[in-house]
Formats: sequence, structure tokens, C-alpha cells
Amino acid sequence: MITNEKINSFIDKIPPAPKALQATLLFLNSGELVKAAQIAQTDLALKAYLKNIVNKPIYGFKTEVSEVSQIFGILGVSSSQQTVYNYMMTLLSPKKWELFHLRESTFHELQAKLSRRWKQILQHLDIDDMDIESAITLLPASIIVAEALFAEKKEDVLLLRSVKNLDYNTILSRLCGIDLFDICEKISIKWEMPPKVAQIVQASSGFKPSQDKKLNTLGKWMHLLLFYELSQTMFIEASLNDFIEFQLDYVGEIYEDFAKIMEIA
Amino acid sequence: MRASLKNGVAVFTPQGFLDGNSATALLTIEDIQATVKLNADMVLVSLKKVIFFNRNGLDAFVKMFAKVKESNIVTVGFCDYDLKKYKAILNFYREHVNFSLFASQDIAHLFASSFKNKNLNVLLYNEDKSQRSAMAIELHDGGHNPIIAQTAEEFKTKKNAQNAYDVIIENSYLGQMGQNVSARVTGNAIIYTVTSFLDAEIGNMFNIAYHNNSLNVGFRLFIFDAYKVVSMNVHALNFFSKLASSGAEYNATICFVGMTFEKTPIIFKENMEDAGIMFFDQMENILGDKELLSELGASSAAAIANKRVINKVIVTKLPSFIDATVATIEMMTNSTAIKETAEIHAIKVADHKDKIASSIGFYGDIDGMVILVFPKDIAKKACQLLIGEETDDIDLILDTLAELVNIVGGKVKSLLSDHKVNVNITLPRTYPDIDSLLEIAQDRKGVQVDLAFDNDKFLFFLTR
Repeated sequence: MITNEKINSFIDKIPPAPKALQATLLFLNSGELVKAAQIAQTDLALKAYLKNIVNKPIYGFKTEVSEVSQIFGILGVSSSQQTVYNYMMTLLSPKKWELFHLRESTFHELQAKLSRRWKQILQHLDIDDMDIESAITLLPASIIVAEALFAEKKEDVLLLRSVKNLDYNTILSRLCGIDLFDICEKISIKWEMPPKVAQIVQASSGFKPSQDKKLNTLGKWMHLLLFYELSQTMFIEASLNDFIEFQLDYVGEIYEDFAKIMEIA
Repeated sequence: MRASLKNGVAVFTPQGFLDGNSATALLTIEDIQATVKLNADMVLVSLKKVIFFNRNGLDAFVKMFAKVKESNIVTVGFCDYDLKKYKAILNFYREHVNFSLFASQDIAHLFASSFKNKNLNVLLYNEDKSQRSAMAIELHDGGHNPIIAQTAEEFKTKKNAQNAYDVIIENSYLGQMGQNVSARVTGNAIIYTVTSFLDAEIGNMFNIAYHNNSLNVGFRLFIFDAYKVVSMNVHALNFFSKLASSGAEYNATICFVGMTFEKTPIIFKENMEDAGIMFFDQMENILGDKELLSELGASSAAAIANKRVINKVIVTKLPSFIDATVATIEMMTNSTAIKETAEIHAIKVADHKDKIASSIGFYGDIDGMVILVFPKDIAKKACQLLIGEETDDIDLILDTLAELVNIVGGKVKSLLSDHKVNVNITLPRTYPDIDSLLEIAQDRKGVQVDLAFDNDKFLFFLTR
């Protein structure tokens, strides 16, 4: 159904990060917001993405924000870097979604919701780390990878699932010995994302706990956050609720805190 | 979201947070209609992967239960929860719990008619005395040995006794149980469950097309589990007598188990015996006696009165059958399958050693049977995706092979439907060796296709 050749071909086709993006990230890393904004606004697609995403209700701005310098100024260095990485992920997303009932706007909505709520969680945990804040941007890549690998095999998977409740990650792992999160890690390496990003996302798969206690805890929060979002109507309708397996036991110890932050009654 | 179906038990597995909005999105009208069409004996919603739910979230599934019960007589309920969730559900619905609650899927299976592993020692406790009794009756009828703890203290003490019980049931609740003529396969016998009062309605409740195709697929022993039958009238008597007569040409045997004639005229029993129907007090008397099973036809070769031959209509659809098989095997093994030869003759298996087989019948616009024969190691490989780990457990391999051939059947159904040919499929049957397969298939002419993937060979046979 899915072969290692197909996975390798997918990874090979991932383009390097565009030069304007690399330069923007370089300036953001050194805290030079003005220079980063100057470079960013030369990439019209990035500029449009930034404007679109930060004006979503979840960001809570009362008036429309339109200039890149203004956006970076309001978001600050960490969240600006996070948003630029989010944009990079969209470069991988398909023009037309086949496996999941997603549209470009729905995918952007998911990115925005995950990013804002991740920030809320990090504030609760009293963590102020630019790389950790950006880690959440790699998580939706798992959805893009599942779409890329399984879109042509949608009917087969449905048939398989009619007799056994298997998620895409388990199917891929049993067939090829590599899972969606391993492929996400390869993407992060190709795009020279900080190593911590892939480590947290690997832990967030729910079945590969990190040896590093702090990163493992962050993985738990990310896993629970993902399923909190995937339980929203919009994403259930996109068939995302069961694309990977929810590991309830893995997140049990943080649930009460999570419910408080998300104000779950 | 769709349910997974195995052995007549359909299971929904929602994940994450379940409130009114998410549950309604999870369960569309099409999903409910598809669940009705499954004709399952039991429909369960597993809460194993649900971390939060509220009343509105469960309501969507409770409404689905009601819809399924309108069309089928089926056991419905929630399963896989902890004590906190169990208490929450009871609290939400209080006096109106019209569905069942099973602490785990394993416990639920004890109450499903398809459950094969009988004669288990089951310790059970529920603070409601009528629930304790209802569960004990169901378990006893299912061939188990229920041990009821009358108090919480007694339960606690007994529960701590190591290895004393096969299963311990607590935090479970029985709603209305399903009461249709459900079918299950035990070895090579088909067991139908009949309950309460048997009258003219049995003709509507019994799937005669399924029964006839089971005869055609090679099943020879049909057991009616009649422990819960209160009485039968003359219409039901005529129905069973005719069923026995029509099965006689296939050399099939029909047995009734557990039927008492306290409220049914004893003359009915004599009439049924005259029609060739046999009566047994306990299921174990048949299933536990291999010699008797063999005599009754559950493993013996049987001469078929009307030997049917492969016809042109079936042969023209051969590509659909091959495509379905090849696509399924490729999907399960991640390798490319190659068709080597295709010939019409009686089934030929070159070397019988270490081979297992599975078959599935289809009926509707066309009818027939697909047989797959695998070397044991190749079957293991083909089933690895479903099992998820290496195993030498032959029962597990055969069980999974049945799932695989079920997928082939589903794919055949879908491919034929694309050509406007509508068929239904029977339950899959497995054969632990080639001799048992040949008992039903050796005289049948059909299309034999030798297939190979990664140099491993297996055999496809299509017959009527």
C-alpha cells in the first residue's frame, strides 16, 4: 500500500526553505525584528499569510493588523518565529486535500488555534523559549504527510478500518517501520529547525516518550492539545479525529491542569 | 465515523473530547444508516479513548442506539470506561438507562452471541439485585459459570482470590438484550440463536438466503441455541420441519439445544424428530464431543445433491474477483502480487503440508464462493498488518485470515457494485488444513488462479 520508496520520494521532493524565509528566520533568531520584517515583506505570499493568520479571532486583535512590521512588533520575536514556521509548513500542504476534508482556510485555522493555545500552555508552565514555542508548528506536518502518503489509498484504508480500527500512524509503522512523526522529524532536519522541535513533536505522538523529562511533559501537553483541537466540529468533519491514536493514559496526569486552562466544564 | 465489525460486534471508537457538537459531527445520518445496515448482534461505543464527555455528547450515540434498535433487534451500549465514567453515565441517565454498560469489550463479548470461548468462570457483582440476576441468566445461557457476589464485601473477598475466575464483572449494567435470529460460526457449525415465543414471525426473522448460501459454502451442521425459547406454535413447527427437509439434500443436520417442552406440545418434538431434527440438552454435549461433531457433519465430507457448476456469468466477473484479492493482499503485505496461471478444473493443491485456507460465499445477482489457500508462513505475513506482531498462535492466524477474506469479500462487493452487480457476502470460513477444505471443495469445478507475491505463492479458487 505504502512503500519506503514512496516515503523517500516524498522526503526528496520537500523543497529547501526559500531564501527570504531563511533570512527572515535568521534576523528573528538574533532578535532583529525590523530587519526581519523588511525581508519578510518582500515575499508576498508570506506577507498575505501573516496578515490572514494574525487577524483570526483566536489572536484577539480588535483592529485589523496589515503591515509585517506591525505584525512582528505585536507578536514579538518568539511568536513571529512561530508564525513564519507555520507559513513554511503551508508550503508543503497540497492544493487540494483528498484524504481529509480540509481546505486551505481550515488548515490555517488549525495552525492558528494550535499556536495560540500552545502559547497559553507555555505561559501556564512558565516556559519562555523561542524554540519550544515553535515546536507546535511541526505538528500539523503529520497531517500533511498522512495526506500525501494515503490520499491514493483512501478506499483501501476504509476497507481495512471496516474490520479493524487502525489509525494512519499504526498502518504506516506496521507496513514500513517508519511513522508519521519520524517523517516530520526528517522535514525539520531538512528545514534546519531547532532539534528540540522534532524531539517534542516525536514525544507528542503519544507512544515514543522522550528520555528528557521536560520534553516528555511538553509532548504530553502537545498530544492532549492536538486531540482537544481535533475534537472540534470543524476538524471532526475534516476526518481528522482519528488520524492518529489518542493515548489517554499518556496524558492522564496533566488533564486536570489542561481542563482549567481551556476552561472545560 | 464508522464502526469496525468483527464477529457480529460493531464498535465505534471516538477519541478525545465528546460534547454535543463533537458527537453530532462524529455521527452523521449516513453513519447511522450504515450502522443499521451492518445487521450486527451488538453495537458498542468504546469510551477507552475519550478523556471528557458530557450528557449531550453521549446523547448523540444514545439516539443512534434507538435508531439501530428500530430496525434490528440488537444489544447496544457503551464499553471500556473506568469507575468515574461509569458513575457519570448512570448519573446522566438515572432511571432511563435503556442501553447496556460493559466495563470492557471483553466483558461485552461474553454477552454477544458470537462469543466462542464458552464455559468460563465469571465472578459478577452489581449492587442492584435484579441486574445481578439478569447478568447471571445471560451468562448461564451463554454456557458460562456465573458466580454471583451478593454483597460488596463478598465481592471484594472473592475478587482477591488469585486465578479463581476467568473474568470478573463489575461496574456493568444490562439494558435490553438483542433477541434476533443471530448467526455465529463455531468451528464448522453455524449456531443460530432463537428466543422467546416462536411463531409465524420466525419466517421473517430468519435469513433464509444466508442459510442457503451457508449450505452452498459447505456448512453441514446448524445448531439452534434454544435455551431462551419459551414456546413455539404450529407455524414455527412447520418452518423448522421445512428447513430440515430442504437441508436434507445437502446431507445437513439441524439440532436444537436447550429447548424445553414445558409450554410446547411434546408432539411437536416428535414431529420435528421425524423431520430429522435432533435435540440436545446442552451445547457442550455437541461442541465438546469431536466424534459426535464428525458424525453430525461439522467436519465430514458431504455429497451435495445439486452440484453446481461455474457458469459464464461468474467467469465474466472473474477480473473483479482477482482484482479484489490481489489489491487486498498487496495492501496487507506491501508487495506486488502477480497472476501466474488461470485454469478451469477442480481445485488442485500441490502440497498439502503446512497450508491453511479460508473461504467466503456471495449471493445476490450472482452467487458462488471464493477460496484462498495459503502456506502458513505466507498467511502469517498477509495477516501481520492486522495482528501487528509476530505470532504462531494458529487460532489467531485463522481468525485474522477470516478478517482478511472478509476484506476481500467487501472489495468484491464494491467492485461488482461498480458493474451494477449486487451481492451480499456470508461469514468467512477458515480451514486449519487442506483436507478439511477438500471435504467441501474437491468435487467442485471452478477457476483456479495461482498467484505469487515476492516469490511466495498462494492459490485463488472461484466456484459455485
